[in-house]
Amino acid sequence: MLGGPINFVNPLSVLESPGTLTGDFYALNFEKKAKSGRVILNLGPQHPSTHGVLRVLCELDGEYVDRAEPVLGYLHRMHEKMGEVKTPWQYIPNLGRVDYLHPLAWNWAYVGAAERLAGLEVPERAEYLRVIGCELNRIASHLLWWGAFVMDLGGFTPILYAFEEREKINDILQIITGSRLTMANFRFGGVCADGDERFFRLIREFIPYLRERLKMYQGLVTDNIILRRRLEGIGPIDVDMCQRYGATGPILRAAGLPRDTRRDYPYSVYPKLEFPIPTGPINDCFGRYLVRLREIETSLAIVEQAINQIPDGPVIMDKAPKATWKLPAGESYWAVEGARGQIAVHLLSDGGKNPYRLKLRAPGFSNLSLFAEAAQGTLLADAIAILGSLDLVIPEVDR
Amino acid sequence: MDLSLAIFVQIIVAALLVIGLMVGNAVVMVYMERKVAGFIQRRPGPYEVGPWGTLQALCDSMKLLAKQLYRPGNVDIILYYLAPILAFFPVLLLFLPIPFGPYLTALNVNEGIILILAFAGLGVLSNLLAGWSSNNKYSLLGAARAVSQTVAYEIPMILALLAVVFQCGSMDLKNVTEQQGAWPWEWNVLTQPLAFFIYVVSLVGETNRAPFDLPEAESELAAGFHTEYSGMGFALFFLSEYANMLLVSLVAAVFFLGGYKGPVADGFWWIFIKAYAIMFFLVWIRWTFPRVRFDQLLNINWKWLLPLSLLNLWLTAIIVKLLI
Amino acid sequence: MLKAIWDNIKGLYSLVVGLSITGRYLLSPVETIHYPRQVVDDEILASFRGPIQLTLGKKDPAQTRCVSCQMCVKACPGHCLKVTKGEAKAPVAWTYDFSYCCLCGACVESCPTGALEFSHKVYLVTVSREELIFDLLADLKKRAATRAEAPTPTGSAATGSASIAASAGSAAPAPPAAGTAAAAAQPSPKPAQA
Repeated sequence: MLGGPINFVNPLSVLESPGTLTGDFYALNFEKKAKSGRVILNLGPQHPSTHGVLRVLCELDGEYVDRAEPVLGYLHRMHEKMGEVKTPWQYIPNLGRVDYLHPLAWNWAYVGAAERLAGLEVPERAEYLRVIGCELNRIASHLLWWGAFVMDLGGFTPILYAFEEREKINDILQIITGSRLTMANFRFGGVCADGDERFFRLIREFIPYLRERLKMYQGLVTDNIILRRRLEGIGPIDVDMCQRYGATGPILRAAGLPRDTRRDYPYSVYPKLEFPIPTGPINDCFGRYLVRLREIETSLAIVEQAINQIPDGPVIMDKAPKATWKLPAGESYWAVEGARGQIAVHLLSDGGKNPYRLKLRAPGFSNLSLFAEAAQGTLLADAIAILGSLDLVIPEVDR
Repeated sequence: MDLSLAIFVQIIVAALLVIGLMVGNAVVMVYMERKVAGFIQRRPGPYEVGPWGTLQALCDSMKLLAKQLYRPGNVDIILYYLAPILAFFPVLLLFLPIPFGPYLTALNVNEGIILILAFAGLGVLSNLLAGWSSNNKYSLLGAARAVSQTVAYEIPMILALLAVVFQCGSMDLKNVTEQQGAWPWEWNVLTQPLAFFIYVVSLVGETNRAPFDLPEAESELAAGFHTEYSGMGFALFFLSEYANMLLVSLVAAVFFLGGYKGPVADGFWWIFIKAYAIMFFLVWIRWTFPRVRFDQLLNINWKWLLPLSLLNLWLTAIIVKLLI
Repeated sequence: MLKAIWDNIKGLYSLVVGLSITGRYLLSPVETIHYPRQVVDDEILASFRGPIQLTLGKKDPAQTRCVSCQMCVKACPGHCLKVTKGEAKAPVAWTYDFSYCCLCGACVESCPTGALEFSHKVYLVTVSREELIFDLLADLKKRAATRAEAPTPTGSAATGSASIAASAGSAAPAPPAAGTAAAAAQPSPKPAQA
């Protein structure tokens, strides 16, 4: 099976027969199964469309991809290990670095796991602020994906339009988080800062503005005949395939299964908010594109309801844990819906200074694993479109 | 003897002027492309070097000149260095028959368009050689794409021009210009709208510009056939790409938009205004549309442009036969 | 066949729509802020969390509130703080290595006396790593002196990041402090500036 485990060979075997094969360990392994007359193309680690340092080994028959295999680990930063050598509080800023496009969801997954373990009560205003921040961040993440995806397809301009909106979201989120990229305003038992009057005013101005801009996106990109022909019918990923690889998020929803952690395992104040779960009518690249664009609208609706419902009160619990706080012994698991799928944190503590073991469930990792099967037999340009439609953030995949 | 010497001198002077034109055109186009891209994307574009960044293109060319000519291992050295030169020099020839003004033609050829189309086909050879000799898989794919694309898009281009040739009864570019009037309603674009449309579409394909820039599709093939070129090798490809753009735009101006003729006073300024208007359009679509896929690119050509241009040619032939 | 032709005509129209959108933006003014010539509003910068600094003292601005309790040093995940205790409670040296700082705020939130706060230095540029090691006590004295000269500092944001920082103690979005942040929930009485 292509998606199956790699048959590891002794790397030193290269030395035994020098000159016959060139390349590194992965390339050699990959090349062993290659048919004659095929070209092995190394897409990445430095390639314009792999967004960072993903490497995909492709076996090409002309321009058709016979088989493709992602090679990971070029951006592995030991985030899970770092969680075991820092106190829980000290680890929070790390979460923003795991997935820099949707840092608040990662914050929430970790903080939620610790709160469940320690049984901390979060004030309601803090829950609303978390929802607002997380949803605005999701919009920012989807906008950036939108621009980068169209850039993969050769349209350069949309990403800069997307950045205009993203900057506005950053201005808003900066008020409650203090930073613009690797945000970390979640604390055990609340959030670190409250939104002021300007925060809510900017959100109220932003919602109709973005709805107007989404219409422009529709005209510039979604309706564009070139884009539609590039995406329609390309890279179908059905529910069965998603379940086999554990893919979640917009990919699963585009396949037709309305699975959303916010609805299936309700957390925070999501049960009080009404929002539809967009599912795709088609499971190809264009379906995934549409689902993400609709999710922007869904998130806008959630933010709109949240700023109307938000109660007054404190934003952090009394006697909130400090930086040297120790987790009680035990085990907990907490999942939230990130922009790319289900983000989950498994926290195991023996009551010591640092958590005993920390497992980060990155949706991008599972989503990427189905690429090998989805890209089989497609054109090279289509394979890149499929890779783009998976919405990969390599730091998150490698962690 | 004197006459042939005069023609020889004329051609030498013209060639030098054309080299100047090519370099000047590249400088202008780089600046225009970056400024237009900037304004479309709501940023100012080049701004720091010279007033409003006008000297940015010159700085870039200085940088390219000063760069090391890096050659990767295992390349075919002769072909590797020949390819950029081969990309550059045929373009020089192509400008010779273009009538820039009533008396401003480097070489009066009575079948000028054939000369242009014949030598324009040579350009793709350099892409092929560059891709082949670079010993790089991306380059090779880019070269293969370049050849099949350019060969395919030449056909509707020629057929579209042929319809105008039928109508005017001449292959001499000066003659074609003279048959059109100064005002827009006297231009061939009104009598041959379909041919103009086909010509503009295949012009994009012929010059490898986005959305038909498959040979150098950045997100797929890194930089396509010129992946392995740096410094002056890359600059020559760049120069010839812009020169090719200028050339096909000039031909479009001559055949469809009245050439050097224009309101108030005829002259070379009109042909340049028209050509640069077409090039501005090319820049505009490049920064608007995503790229097509390769099979779609060929489908557009073989399934739509070619039958349409044949139909157009056939209709033109019938009408010309009936009217004259 | 007819449907294919119709689809293509509709497709061509969609291309025209795209061109009209980019054409409109081509003629509209630029959106970016051209940094050395223009700067973003102070209003946006006021919520930015830059490198930390010592809060001005209550009685004597040049006197820090720090009591050298080492809470911040223990809390810091990046080990970028170094507080040397003198004979009295007040520190004799306060070194802050910004190159290791991740701006998490652990030190600010764990400080029992509120001696630390975030500055709003966005335009911080250095050419070497050594310049990123700040002596916060010297910085505090400098800011106290600046404030003594001009009681209501209003400097341009490009050059006056120090002056903004000096007024940060009274600025509306106070540095996030656990438990007290709810006070900011009330709308500020000042009229909103565009």
